[in-house]
Amino acid sequence: MGIRRFAILGTVALGASLAAFAASAEDVTISVWSLDRDIQPAPNLINDFNKLNTGIKVEYRQIQFDDVVSEAMRAYSTGQAPDIIAVDNPEHVLFSSRGAFLDLTDMIAKSSVVKAENYFPGPLASVTWEGKYYGIPKATNTIALYYNKDMFKAKGLDPNKPPQTWDELVEMARKLTDPAANVYGLTFSAKANEEGTFQFLPWAQMAGGSYDAINSDGAVKALDVWKKIIDEKLASPDTLTRGQWDSTGTFNSGNAAMAISGPWELDRMVKEAKFDWGVALLPVPEPGAERSSAMGDFNWAIFANTEHPAEAFKVLEYFVSQDDRMFKDFGQLPARSDISIPETGEPQKDAALKVFVEQLKYAKPRGPHPAWPKISKAIQDAIQAALTGQMSSKQALDQAAEKIKAVLG
Amino acid sequence: MKRILSSVTDGKGFDIGLVVLPLGFLFVMSGLPLVYNVVMSFQEVDMFSLGSFARPFVGFRNYVDLFSQHETRPILFNTALFVVASIAGQFAIGFGLALFFWTNFPGASWLRGLFLVSWVMPGLVVGAIWNWILSGDFGVLNFLLRETGVIDGNIFWRSDPNYSLWAVIIANIWLGTSFNMILLSVGLSGIPKDLYEAAELDGANALQRFWTITLPMMRSTIGAIIALGLIFTLQQFDLFAAITSGGPNNTSNVTQYWAWDLSFRQYDFAKGATISVIMIVFVMFASVVYVRSTRHEVRG
Repeated sequence: MGIRRFAILGTVALGASLAAFAASAEDVTISVWSLDRDIQPAPNLINDFNKLNTGIKVEYRQIQFDDVVSEAMRAYSTGQAPDIIAVDNPEHVLFSSRGAFLDLTDMIAKSSVVKAENYFPGPLASVTWEGKYYGIPKATNTIALYYNKDMFKAKGLDPNKPPQTWDELVEMARKLTDPAANVYGLTFSAKANEEGTFQFLPWAQMAGGSYDAINSDGAVKALDVWKKIIDEKLASPDTLTRGQWDSTGTFNSGNAAMAISGPWELDRMVKEAKFDWGVALLPVPEPGAERSSAMGDFNWAIFANTEHPAEAFKVLEYFVSQDDRMFKDFGQLPARSDISIPETGEPQKDAALKVFVEQLKYAKPRGPHPAWPKISKAIQDAIQAALTGQMSSKQALDQAAEKIKAVLG
Repeated sequence: MKRILSSVTDGKGFDIGLVVLPLGFLFVMSGLPLVYNVVMSFQEVDMFSLGSFARPFVGFRNYVDLFSQHETRPILFNTALFVVASIAGQFAIGFGLALFFWTNFPGASWLRGLFLVSWVMPGLVVGAIWNWILSGDFGVLNFLLRETGVIDGNIFWRSDPNYSLWAVIIANIWLGTSFNMILLSVGLSGIPKDLYEAAELDGANALQRFWTITLPMMRSTIGAIIALGLIFTLQQFDLFAAITSGGPNNTSNVTQYWAWDLSFRQYDFAKGATISVIMIVFVMFASVVYVRSTRHEVRG
């Protein structure tokens, strides 16, 4: 670290002296932190931006997923925060509610590039706090149902008719489950971390529940369906300790006939899955019921103590102006409804994308609430208590509701 | 001035320097963070007041809140079970192996060295490997147990509340056994051989020799190992993160993982500090045992 910091100082010093020679010493430097690697958007967009010579120089620092919040708050509380940061959407309001992020409402109103109405409602809600915008959605994702068409055919199901309702999902999972062949009907994640909440909330929301009404009848019914799936071994008991990436891995290897996961699986699935597969919208409680889905991915924000808010916003405007490259160049979905995603030439992937884009319309943010991690923890505990049979769904969710009520105050 | 200098180079000043330096180091590196942690457990701390010292004091509220939570008791019980079972398993297997290698068959020292591999591996790697071994549907352990006829159906080690804590204990025993073995081997090799020869001449059998010579001579080593084992198991975090994440429903959660979860997942730093304070009490106890048993060693 020490050497690296010296190296960075050295480069900065060298850069500064070079810049002085080039007589462009008035350059404003904007620092950006995100978790994007070299093949992901942030570093590439920054390179392109720096080539434009706008008088703003952008410096990039990559941070690890687990460190985003702790690094950011340490930096902020010691006055060393970057100008711009990318944070995970449920954690955005943690910062905005405390005034750590800059209120961008007026800048967005004046901007010709960033327009609030271009964004999907879910991502937009995650940057909103008390009616004001404290960030700009960077990208978005959601979850839907992957299914193995070959297995559907083998079990006498119509491969073009994926399950539409919860009952159909359970019914088909029963038909597809084949312990002798090591095949489970369904795979998903009920892990005791944010992934469990991410996967469960859409089910609760489709049935009329929500995080602040987590013990409503609909949510209880949703958890009962999950319990039925686990109890009848239609999904592996390891669903309780396995994340989404690992659980979808069992779908790719042919050990599960359906999987609930997001578009981040597509590239791996195209490569790994040796069968015909498709993607369908998440099944709903009964025909015609309200749809819902989870919403993931990161948002851009400007720290409130930046010295150059106008320049930082210009950088964000540039990022937004490049949103149409998001999928083509980086495989991510822009959080905007006004951009049509170009075809990739991979038929399964293109078909899947249409479903995910449709599903995005129903994606709801988690929260937003400043104490989201505590709310999420209460939900995870309830899911696990019910699925392990330690409590009934109703009892578990009642307990969660009590904890959440204490958090909401 | 000269006198002070000469006393530092050889004399009382040098002795004082020898004591002050490590004490100062200990105070700055361990003492201050410890005090800071205790102070934090009496304050209201969130992510934004983390950088300042002036935080509202709340008395014992963090402690009261903590003990009124449903999960606190089971987690404390899990911690006790994890520590006792891990140490017992590590010690029993480690001692068995140490005695086995003590017979000094050809290649014994090489093999003993190889056993250290488990100790050298990073906890997260060990955790990831055990994660595969213990996996329910395709785990190696289930396969072995099934093929040998011990079980009929798969045991979901990580996801069944009855087994989840034991899954981590098994991995932890594997991880700590070699360390126990090496320390115990060192202790064994320190026992004078003539004691055994004399006992043999007096007609003592192997079991009698073990009870009356080996065990008493190893007392200080065993004390130190158990104290160190207590500290190491209370530190064990990687395996929980890699295998069960404390789930399902906290059935494999222990205080050290919980403290991290509260501090860095739920950003409730005060509660995390409160749990750490409770753990400090236990570690202090282990340290006293360790110091006492090694003091004995120096005198003898």
